[in-house]
Amino acid sequence: MNEHRNLIASGLAIVRRHKRYLVWLWLLNLALAFLGVAGLGNRLHPILDHSRYADKLLHGFDAAVYLELVARPEMGPETASTAPAVPFAFLFFLLTLLFLPGVLLAYTGEHRLPREAFFRVCERSLWRFIRLIFFFAIIAVPVVAALFSLHHALVKAAEKDMNELLPFYTMIATLGLIALVMTFLRIWFDLAEVDVVLRDQNMVRKSVASAWRHSWRSLGRLLGSYMVIAAAACLVLVIGIWVWHVVVPPANVVGAFVVSQAILIALLGMRFWQRASAAAFYMREMFVPSVANPPASAPPLSPPDLPSPGRELARES
Amino acid sequence: MMTDLSLPNGGGMVIKRLLFLVLLGHALPAPPQAKSTAATAAGASLIPVTTLAINSPAPLSQRVVAYDIEAKYDAKTHTLDGRELLTYHNLTGQPLDRFPFHLYLNAFQPTSTFVRETKALGDERLAKWKPEFWGADEIKSFEVVGVGDLTSKLHFIQPDDDNVDDKTVAEVVLPNAIPPGQSVQFKIAFHDQFPETVARTGYKRDFVLAGQWFPKVGVWWQGAWNCHQFHTTTEFFADFGVYDVKLTVPQYEVLGATGIELSSVHHSDGTRTETYHADDVHDFAWTASPRFKVGEHGYAGAMGPIKLHILMQPAHWRQEARHARILKESLDRFERWYGPYPYKTLTLVDPEPGSEAGGMEYPTFITGGTTWWMPSGLYLPELVVEHEFGHQYWYGMVATNEFEDAWMDEGINSYTEVKVLDSILGRDTSVLNLLGVTAGDRELQRYEYIGVADLDPLSRKAWQYASFGSYGGVTYGKTASLLLTLESVIGEATMQNAMRVYFTRYRFTHPTPEDFLRTIEEVSGKNLRWYFNQAVYGTQVLDYEVLRLDSWPANWYEKQASEKKGETSYDSVVMIHRKEDFVFPVEVEVRFDNGEKLREHWDGQDRWVKFSYRKKAKVESVEIDPDHRIQLDRNDFNNSWTAQPKPSPARKLANYWQFASQLLAQCLTWWLV
Repeated sequence: MNEHRNLIASGLAIVRRHKRYLVWLWLLNLALAFLGVAGLGNRLHPILDHSRYADKLLHGFDAAVYLELVARPEMGPETASTAPAVPFAFLFFLLTLLFLPGVLLAYTGEHRLPREAFFRVCERSLWRFIRLIFFFAIIAVPVVAALFSLHHALVKAAEKDMNELLPFYTMIATLGLIALVMTFLRIWFDLAEVDVVLRDQNMVRKSVASAWRHSWRSLGRLLGSYMVIAAAACLVLVIGIWVWHVVVPPANVVGAFVVSQAILIALLGMRFWQRASAAAFYMREMFVPSVANPPASAPPLSPPDLPSPGRELARES
Repeated sequence: MMTDLSLPNGGGMVIKRLLFLVLLGHALPAPPQAKSTAATAAGASLIPVTTLAINSPAPLSQRVVAYDIEAKYDAKTHTLDGRELLTYHNLTGQPLDRFPFHLYLNAFQPTSTFVRETKALGDERLAKWKPEFWGADEIKSFEVVGVGDLTSKLHFIQPDDDNVDDKTVAEVVLPNAIPPGQSVQFKIAFHDQFPETVARTGYKRDFVLAGQWFPKVGVWWQGAWNCHQFHTTTEFFADFGVYDVKLTVPQYEVLGATGIELSSVHHSDGTRTETYHADDVHDFAWTASPRFKVGEHGYAGAMGPIKLHILMQPAHWRQEARHARILKESLDRFERWYGPYPYKTLTLVDPEPGSEAGGMEYPTFITGGTTWWMPSGLYLPELVVEHEFGHQYWYGMVATNEFEDAWMDEGINSYTEVKVLDSILGRDTSVLNLLGVTAGDRELQRYEYIGVADLDPLSRKAWQYASFGSYGGVTYGKTASLLLTLESVIGEATMQNAMRVYFTRYRFTHPTPEDFLRTIEEVSGKNLRWYFNQAVYGTQVLDYEVLRLDSWPANWYEKQASEKKGETSYDSVVMIHRKEDFVFPVEVEVRFDNGEKLREHWDGQDRWVKFSYRKKAKVESVEIDPDHRIQLDRNDFNNSWTAQPKPSPARKLANYWQFASQLLAQCLTWWLV
């Protein structure tokens, strides 16, 4: 438990030390989503801006009025207003993929990472991270597909039972199991990502193999840390929405924006907290300092960015 | 179309049938005894004049039929063997030699009209429909008392379409006509195979809901037999009478049924027989499940005490009080507003989840619909229970033809549903009031209608609508909306009075649409044909909009003229446009920036109207129907216009989507990288 707390605390300290990455990524998240919903706004304003009937959506939220609104022909087909949000969400994923190596490098260093170093590592690692995604997909898709097949089969079997609640309990149990397995996969590949960056590893399969060994060996510790943070994220979401509902008056659009963005930045921070915990774990358990035979040429990454040799002893097997 | 009788399960050979009948005779209880031996020689009426099941010393309806049924249910095979003695009193004023009978359970076969129509409309309920889920209602023997066995004379007919495979209506021609005022008795042995429920009736796991489960005679109405086939969107139509039903079921079953329970006898073979009796009803339904939990309540009705039986699923038991409350509150509103509930019982069944048997009405017997997780601010159980209870009035007692005039039961009932739920749960919160999100039944009825506003008139027969959506939107939503809109023409109190007069005058009869519309005209003292022709018989669409709002200084031509609030005179113009073809008089409220409000009236006859003003104030906003009483208006957003734009509503909604989009992006990224 103490180890969990240390890992979690270390991760939190890292995220706090490097807040600027979180802020930049949140701004990216915000800007891309803004572009995604711009079309919706363009459709809404002509219908609502001069209508007194729109008050039913401002002072409260009348679901029947909202249904009527989205059924208006001016709103276009059902998905026309909201579909653009999906490609922008995908773009956010791609940009996160692009910038994550720089963030991970910074997370494993003591000092602020120079901008050039940040972008250099992003550039060097892009193709490696894309390959990691492929590895992840090759492993995760069949595993998750098999788990979801099992989930559907068990829920269907439970539906035949006379106990009406059994399908629900079955669903919760199987989805919980799927979440655990997926979290483990995420831990595995989070460690692999750190390894790829710190070792400047071009053969990502070696990072995947190394990360597998360590994540499996320290399964309880890592899974515990990740699940604690994930539970905190769920709490943030639930409490945040509750605060949004209770504290912010329905007609206060600015207040709603502030609270909603606070929730989102906190959620984003939770994921980076997990990554930072993985980085902290890596530095303690997996990092091998190049002490014996330092390369003749410059090390893969500038020394100030790497932890000082000997600070943590490697336990690489 | 006429076809020969063939047994739905592939029988038909005479020897086989006789053998089966002999075996059936051993399996069933002794048949109900006929009260006469010859139909044409019978007394004027053999219909009992009992009042056991009603809070009235005398019969309430003109009783045309009496069903005396004995049936044994096999819970393992979901089958039932029954014998019925049907007494029909010929009150048609003319001799009758043809009698049609509904065999509704035959609808649940792949070649039936019901299934064909359901499939053609793309209903997903049949996507995984297997032969073991089919249903059937097979007549084993058919005898006319005093005449003899006419099984071979029975043949299927298809009065509505040319589907010769549809076996939901069978007809017999008697050798001698039944004179007016005389009675005839039919002794029918039948075998039911209940379907796994796809619509209203059948079994699901160990639950069964038996609706339309026995051969049932059609209705002589408007000078002809009215006995339609079972269609995908239609319901039922039957004459009032008396039902005596003996049901034999396994002892572990918990039962609920139409009417009152008279006795319960346990047998040594592990079964028991429950005897039920119902007066002045036109159908009989029952349900059984070993797992029902039963709540019993009492209600002091206007005509006498009413016992409320609530049969709940075990996982829903904590919602029993919710069900009891809405039932009592609905009874209270209906009795005060429309008239008394005369029956001694009301049974509410919470059906098996996923059984497709929820939300259905039978006389003194209704089914609700809920889930174990239903939050307290989501009033779907209340909505369903109130709606089905309302059918005790609009279908149960005012027994309109559900095949042909579906709006008269579903639509009028949707209107009273809005009124009752508004009264109990609040106008804007009667369906949903959860976490700041609200929805009222009134607006949801309107929403259901506006998407199909010009497709079908209300007067369309139920099975002839363009689609499920049009049937639902017009039959339920449009009727409710047009009656709510009518309140703005004749007044809410007058409308309520008209409904009360309509109920009082036509209860225990089969009124027509004109009976209803004439009653409203009579009570209101107004000629409303202009409205009914558009709203009931037509497909006109109602949509008014604010076309223009403009104010400018009256001295605009003077250079350097400065504007001062309260001193400068302005010329203002407001234009209202009737966009569609439904003509309806409207109120228009014009607000000025000095706080002044004006109400204008426009008869809507022309396509547009212009109001001009010269005042020391600019027009701030215009609103058509400021009291929101015209529920038929297809678009309420264009009913008003404010001079100054107010972007907050659009920004608020955009912010919701912004949040959702960002969350989606984060979730994607959370798991993938």
